[in-house]
Amino acid sequence: MSAKVKTMARKGASLQERLYLIEIFKGMATTFGHFFRNLLDNRKLYVRHYPEVQPEIPVRWRGRHRLTTHADGTVKCVACFMCQTNCPANCIMIEAGERLDGKTEKMPVKFTIDLLECIYCGYCVEACPLDAIRMDTGIFSVTGNNRESFVMELPELLATPGAYSEEEYKKGGA
Amino acid sequence: MSPLDIFMFVARVAFAAFVPLCFIAVCVWMERRGAGYFQDRSGPNRANIFGFRAAGLVQNLADAAKLIFKEDVISGHIEHKFYFVLAPVIVFFTALVSFAVVPFADTLVLGGKSYIMQGIPLDLGILWFLSFVGFSVYGIILAGWSSTNKFGVLGALRSAAQVISYEIPMGLAIVSLLVVYGTVNLNEIAQFQGKFLFGFIPMWGAVLQPIGMVIFIIAAFAETNRTPFDLAEGESELVAGFHVEYSAMKFAIFFMGEYVAMFASSAMIVTLFFGGYQIPFLSTATLISQAKPVAFLLMIIIPVVMYYFTGWIRRSNVSHYPRENDPRVFEATVYIKCFWGLVIILEVLLLAILFSASGGPSAHIFVVLLQVCTFLLKITMMIFVYIWVRWTLPRFRYDQLQKLGWQMLLPLALLNIFITSAFVVALS
Repeated sequence: MSAKVKTMARKGASLQERLYLIEIFKGMATTFGHFFRNLLDNRKLYVRHYPEVQPEIPVRWRGRHRLTTHADGTVKCVACFMCQTNCPANCIMIEAGERLDGKTEKMPVKFTIDLLECIYCGYCVEACPLDAIRMDTGIFSVTGNNRESFVMELPELLATPGAYSEEEYKKGGA
Repeated sequence: MSPLDIFMFVARVAFAAFVPLCFIAVCVWMERRGAGYFQDRSGPNRANIFGFRAAGLVQNLADAAKLIFKEDVISGHIEHKFYFVLAPVIVFFTALVSFAVVPFADTLVLGGKSYIMQGIPLDLGILWFLSFVGFSVYGIILAGWSSTNKFGVLGALRSAAQVISYEIPMGLAIVSLLVVYGTVNLNEIAQFQGKFLFGFIPMWGAVLQPIGMVIFIIAAFAETNRTPFDLAEGESELVAGFHVEYSAMKFAIFFMGEYVAMFASSAMIVTLFFGGYQIPFLSTATLISQAKPVAFLLMIIIPVVMYYFTGWIRRSNVSHYPRENDPRVFEATVYIKCFWGLVIILEVLLLAILFSASGGPSAHIFVVLLQVCTFLLKITMMIFVYIWVRWTLPRFRYDQLQKLGWQMLLPLALLNIFITSAFVVALS
């Protein structure tokens, strides 16, 4: 089976195009149109005035992680190491311990995510059998003054709330 | 020498030396804000002093402070440190000196003495400009070579290739101009352009020599290393080209040299093709005799223009998102008051012209100032064209530039000389 060949007409061969200056003036007219429109009314600039105006983050955006909790506020995670095993960047470090409140047998004593290593692929969320880790905080800008501030520990991960309601999150396809 | 002589001397030299330097700030500002507006973004608009942003001009101060306080690195691998330091000096100095012969106003006659309004009162004119502009490329080649860096050497090589492709068409375009004007003295050239063709069209170089103008402007773009001919510093191919090893103030001097060169060549284009300091339809003699009506007309025009300008400031200088007690409105109010203060000062000065003796020294000085303003306005417009072209056209490959120079511009320039000479011979 032969490939379908479409011959494209080459531009730039006509006299008007070969004179070059006419085409330059056309281009300059286009750019000047943009300049003049923006000069007259600078509200027409295609600019978001960040950081005063924040962008809208959609539900499926993979933001900073958080750990979800049961209704009574205890951690859902059972320290199964699925996310840590699945993580391509090796940024999750879990230390498991015995759980004494009778919900499950295991729970994480330490749950550390190094955000400098994380590539925000979302595999940890997909791997989690208990929906214990999510990336729905809507935080897209993580800044800090030192490396240590980028290492998220268990209390911090538990404390961050999700940015969306449960219905919205489910509708997002998670 | 009388005190007036000394004052005029100092004023002239100061004008020729400091106005290009002041225009660096204006050029950089126009470039960055202009680039923003051409690309539908806003450009630098955050840097401020106590909330006053001066439409982004404060960014220049911040940049200058940064560049001055940065460490001035000379890498260990550079063998010829003297040439390495000399190169930016050559680029900057030649650019600044090339402006010195450009007349910024007609000859001023005060107390029976005439003062030529040029930085250096030379008759060389165009030749001086050509020689210094041709010299500036040595700075670039020296910079690229002495950096001992592949990218630097490639940039220098491209610059050398560029110079052989544009210098000859530029020189030939000027030859045809000289045939028309019959002089190399820029002041005489500007005076020539005050005359009229068929009694009503100003005899500007652009009217008499349209082909020469196109060739000269293309060559001037190449000569100032501006897009579309900035191949010596193509950042996508050569990192930064000839100035890749330069940092801090040495880089800043290259940068300033580029803008001074842009100013000087704009001044040259304006002087050769757009009537220099001449106000269309108002020659120097007419202006001096009619100083009072002109001053009266300006007294009416300036407030009207300022009224619309303040309206524009009021509309533009606001925050584009909901904000309580928008500080930018206060900022705009202050600017508007400053501008109206300026207008009042101007009005008082113009009123003084109205009440002074007609045809006296005050009228002469008034006309000179008017011509200086006209000249600077024309230069600003030409600089805008430079910026406009930069944000419209992509860069040429250097073989394309050579092809353009040798196969298109050179025959065109020769043809232009032939036609011009035939016309001049036939008419004389």
